[in-house]
Amino acid sequence: MTGSKDFRIGQIYITALNEKMPDAVLDTSWQTDNQVTVTVKLNSLPDAVATLYYEHDGWLSTMVGNDERPLNGNYGLYYVLSMEGAEKCHVIVHAEIPEDSPEFPSVTPKVPAAVWYEREVRDMLGLQPIGLPDERRLVLPDDWPEGLYPLRKDTMDYRFRPQPTTDNETYKFVNDSKVETTVVPLGPLHITSDEPGHFRLFVDGEDIIDADYRMFYVHRGMEKLAETRMGYNEVTFLADRVCGICGYAHSVAYASSVENALGIQVPARGQAIRAILLETERLHSHLLNLGLVCHFTGFDSGFMQFFRVREKTMTLAELLTGARKTYAMNLIGGVRRDILAEQRLTTLKLIGELRGEVKRLVDMLLSTPNFGGRVNGIGRLDPKIARDYSPVGPVVRGSGHRRDTRADHPFAGYKLVDMPVHTQTGCDVLSRTLIRVEEFFDSIAIIEKLLSDTPTGPILTEDFAYVPHKFALGYTEAPRGEDMHWSMTGDNQKLYRWRCRASTYNNWPVLRYMLRGNTISDAPLIVGSIDPCYSCTDRVTIVDVKKARAKTVSYKEMERYCRERSDSPLK
Amino acid sequence: MSNEVAALKGRLLKSIGRSIYVYRVDCGGCNGCEIEIFAAITPIFDVERFGIKVVPSPRHADILLYTGAVTRAMRMPAIRSYEAAPDPKIVVSYGACGCTGGIFHDLYCVWGGTDKIVPVDVYIPGCPPTPQATIYGFAMALGLLEQKLKETTHVEGEDESVPLIHPGVPYGLRVALERRARRMAGYLQGRACAEAFMGALEAPEPAQVDMRITQLIAKEEDPRRAEIFTQLKLVFTGMLA
Amino acid sequence: MLKFLKEVLRVGEATQKYPFAPAEICEGFRGRPEHDPIRCIACAACTSACPANALSMKTDADAGTRTWAINYGQCVFCGRCEESCPTGAISLTKDFELAVARKDDLIKRAVFKLAYCRSCGAPFAAAKEVEYVGRILASYATSPEEAERIRANAEVCPECKRKLDVEQIARSNPVQQMETAR
Repeated sequence: MTGSKDFRIGQIYITALNEKMPDAVLDTSWQTDNQVTVTVKLNSLPDAVATLYYEHDGWLSTMVGNDERPLNGNYGLYYVLSMEGAEKCHVIVHAEIPEDSPEFPSVTPKVPAAVWYEREVRDMLGLQPIGLPDERRLVLPDDWPEGLYPLRKDTMDYRFRPQPTTDNETYKFVNDSKVETTVVPLGPLHITSDEPGHFRLFVDGEDIIDADYRMFYVHRGMEKLAETRMGYNEVTFLADRVCGICGYAHSVAYASSVENALGIQVPARGQAIRAILLETERLHSHLLNLGLVCHFTGFDSGFMQFFRVREKTMTLAELLTGARKTYAMNLIGGVRRDILAEQRLTTLKLIGELRGEVKRLVDMLLSTPNFGGRVNGIGRLDPKIARDYSPVGPVVRGSGHRRDTRADHPFAGYKLVDMPVHTQTGCDVLSRTLIRVEEFFDSIAIIEKLLSDTPTGPILTEDFAYVPHKFALGYTEAPRGEDMHWSMTGDNQKLYRWRCRASTYNNWPVLRYMLRGNTISDAPLIVGSIDPCYSCTDRVTIVDVKKARAKTVSYKEMERYCRERSDSPLK
Repeated sequence: MSNEVAALKGRLLKSIGRSIYVYRVDCGGCNGCEIEIFAAITPIFDVERFGIKVVPSPRHADILLYTGAVTRAMRMPAIRSYEAAPDPKIVVSYGACGCTGGIFHDLYCVWGGTDKIVPVDVYIPGCPPTPQATIYGFAMALGLLEQKLKETTHVEGEDESVPLIHPGVPYGLRVALERRARRMAGYLQGRACAEAFMGALEAPEPAQVDMRITQLIAKEEDPRRAEIFTQLKLVFTGMLA
Repeated sequence: MLKFLKEVLRVGEATQKYPFAPAEICEGFRGRPEHDPIRCIACAACTSACPANALSMKTDADAGTRTWAINYGQCVFCGRCEESCPTGAISLTKDFELAVARKDDLIKRAVFKLAYCRSCGAPFAAAKEVEYVGRILASYATSPEEAERIRANAEVCPECKRKLDVEQIARSNPVQQMETAR
């Protein structure tokens, strides 16, 4: 596939790179008509990524580190850019790192969006980003031994569980404020519910000066599992379980990455069913977030109403897939269930009811005077910061950027529909909420359209063979934004490498900027507005930068303060 | 479990009445279980009508509800929350990951199910358990409903033999029909279509097979099922030729 | 506020009656997989399709048994077992009431007898599977003698089959055949 045929999309970017950086490009190859991998010299990596990112409307979608020593003696790095300018396509900047010097020039100083990816590749593969100031772990837990890199092919079995090196947490939190602070955690530590994660807010009185957080408490090692215990089809069910809310989006992204790598044409009806289910998932996810925004603003009766209506979307999921959450609908090559007349009619009836119910609830929410006061101008994400960090979904659309994978790089059944993209310019919690409301009604329209003229024919193809060491991207627009998967096939009927990047991964780094300048009573609301698979914040340490003292407050207490706004936990 | 602890738990169940305080501990789940617990406390399922209430601190809890396969990073926090809850307490392990580690049971960054770190009283399987399954599990934990599942072992008897499906349809044709039906409509609806079609093939008077198939398609009200039957007819005539 | 009250009054009682009435569940719901050991040939297709390893198959050559087991506590209810089963022995039901107090109550087993190779006497597959396959292959035979030969052949282990094939080829003297053909 090497070469530069004219009809292939993305050639203009290769030409531009060659003009700006002669001799940097070593090779180009197209995986599909609109996915091109360009291999550059290792030293040119930061410049190549930065050129595409800032001069050609590129956004960083993911970065993949791959141990290719058994194949060619090198480690491979793949910076995936979603090109959203003149020619919409994906350009993957690839560089090879020799085995004897496992380091590479960091891209982060030129493109800040790369920061988490480079920390992760250091954790998982032991590749050192030279010039990356942040030397903390990202993914691996504090009690993980030094120098043991799970994704290297020769380090360990996927079941190996090293003894813990410590019973205490050793993560260092970062504070950019100008005042000297000492962090002294007070009180007994107790984990309070919800998804794990640790926040630290640096405050002056009630105002947030800076924030830092420790995530990946739930790191389990799925990427390693996918290339060891499981075959290609089993991984679709694993991908369903990346996230309990938008798992189906991951499953579709994974399946299409393998299908793209092998050139498998999924039948049109299978594609349409995938799109219908993705929109079903968006319906229940957006209702969840609308419910939570009520909850965080102290409007708990509204929360209950949204959850009452949300059950209709859960019934819809159960009707179409046999389960409320983990859909188990994908195989490589298509889907596992069809939509017959009976399901079609019930679906149309249910979404008709949903349209009316949700319209009434949204009217009710927006006409509640307190609500506007709580969400207007809160948690502002500056469009410039958004441009630097490549956030996705309603977060980036709420800051005026017109990015939606369904429209930019149509996949699955979205080729069959006109895809509206909504943006808002308020950059605040309200903007993000309004976008979700608009998208909810779009989803209903998309399902109606796809059900009214569903393509005929099969839903699954099995006319293909697995070819080793082919790779490609697969992507979806989950309710929280773009999910990006990269898969390479192996020579033993298993994946060689699966890289899965969830949408919220791209949204966390900007959260810090959204929190700055707000009061701590708005913090849970702001965190909730990026819809992080329900707030991943089990406890919050608040550090008063003037008094130089720290206090650990349970997340529930913070949440209560957010709702009631009385009895500050800082007193 | 020591007799003393068992007696204490018995007393807790007797005196708990209608005020069961539940504290959730997420040891590294995917959020699927967490959202289904949410669904169980909201209007459609409303477990609060039984007095079951989710509380924000383990110090208030009668029941600890563990979800997720225990990850390395969550081992200590999960143990600490168990220690923080007052005795006697009931531990419920929720979802496939909580019960055994589920699909993640043998991974490097996972310690396994809840019972690897704390003693468990009740297991609620499911991936995730539905709100109804949650209600059933709680009712069982509180001794209000009976357990239905029992460990069983079947031992093969003398002359056990598996009957052939549709013995009247040649094996090769059956496989071809089932395969086409599965590609058309999946393992469930496709199989139902293949069954209906083979039923038409098998009826007595083989001379009228063509007519029966034509009737099957003509009588079908669902255009999609009619399309699938037409495809199966192509397989059938193709194999005859 | 008025809008909210109106909505609450319009909706009225929304809560489902379960557990005081049967749960409202859609057709095709993926609940507890039900295994019919009588229909099962212990071929292990389901155990290799199961993404969560909830299904297992263990062979005990000394006891002459092969034990199939499901752990409902590990099951993710995807239905791949139902999809892969060649005899319709396993299918998902609407049953969701699976909670237990004793972990072992989540396990269901079925013990099958092993078949021994006609040629070398070593156990190589479940007896029911060998019998089932023999019956299907024999259905293609054109005479009762051929059917009997096919059935007998199915009772030979793969290794012996390879050996016997080679011996048969050697007996037919392929070198001479090729020369004759030339």
